[in-house]
Amino acid sequence: MTMITPLELTLFVFVLITAIMTALFRDVLASIVIFAAYSLGLAVVYTFYRAPDVGLTEAAIGAGITTILLLLTIAKTTRPRHDETFEKINWPAAGVCGLFALVLGATMFAFPAVGDPNAPAMTNPDVTVYYIENAYQETGVENAVTAVLAAYRGFDTFGEAVVVFAAGVASLIVLGREVFA
Amino acid sequence: MSTDSSSDRPVRENERLDSDGVARQRPAYTESQVIMTTVKVVVPFVLTYGLYMMFHGAGSPGGSFQGGALVASVIIMIAFAFGIDATRIWVSNTILVGLATVGVLIFGGLALATIALGGAFLDYSELLILNAIVELPANEWAKWGMETIEIGGIAFIVAGVLMGLFFLLASGYDPEADSGHTAEVRADD
Repeated sequence: MTMITPLELTLFVFVLITAIMTALFRDVLASIVIFAAYSLGLAVVYTFYRAPDVGLTEAAIGAGITTILLLLTIAKTTRPRHDETFEKINWPAAGVCGLFALVLGATMFAFPAVGDPNAPAMTNPDVTVYYIENAYQETGVENAVTAVLAAYRGFDTFGEAVVVFAAGVASLIVLGREVFA
Repeated sequence: MSTDSSSDRPVRENERLDSDGVARQRPAYTESQVIMTTVKVVVPFVLTYGLYMMFHGAGSPGGSFQGGALVASVIIMIAFAFGIDATRIWVSNTILVGLATVGVLIFGGLALATIALGGAFLDYSELLILNAIVELPANEWAKWGMETIEIGGIAFIVAGVLMGLFFLLASGYDPEADSGHTAEVRADD
């Protein structure tokens, strides 16, 4: 279970490199393009770990819509010209970030292995086990994720949907656009 | 605007910006045969996949959030290929805001209706009252209730808001005149 397959390793290296490149590129357009590649890599990682719902969201929103909105933003504003390709590295900040990553990484050993059937999240009788055993009888849908989102946690989803709606209306008002125009 | 196609175009436009010495806005729309043809071929498939994801979210990965984003991306692709201003006139702002509002109304309406019938918020078992019309078991009613809020609620909200944000960003903030007129003139030369 602790073996890392070559595919996993490739994905991790790809995500890591694109993440670092996003931070290092001085040109905004290059950053945005690399960031889209990073999102796509992350979507494949999610799918690889059997979370296709999250992977689809990351691909559609992270790699797709976000990239388009960022591209539109630089198209509407000006893109400063730079002579050097890469940002100068701020070594004190890089050191602090490295330390933070080390501290976070130190907690990794406390996690159960990926897909471990005895992990606490998988054996909780009130949450995961309940959903897996009862979702179909109670809601009639095969995708337990949908059952949780739309039935068991429907109130949360309603809140999320209304937040999206409110954000759209707020941008409309901030940019001073009329609705009926 | 169509920065997604070739890597050399933004640089060329940047140089023009520099040689002018003025930070002038780039033309809002450049007609490209490659992008138009690609979008024409790809769009039906993306739309079908988006709708499939919306309608089939209960039985397979995906759902109306992702499906709504895909449907919105169809309109965004069309806007990239055929001009954002032309597409904005075609899909008017009123329709997009209306779409999102109807989504909230359907979602909230169903949730409040189950309260009015004496249940909890989004209590699908209250839908059994509809057995007077069609005879279905309880979990089937829950399924149809979920389909209603997924397709009629979340998908409408997400698609409407994402398209709205796109057109909002494209038009930008200018209080006096709409930038669509100058953009059209510049696209001609």
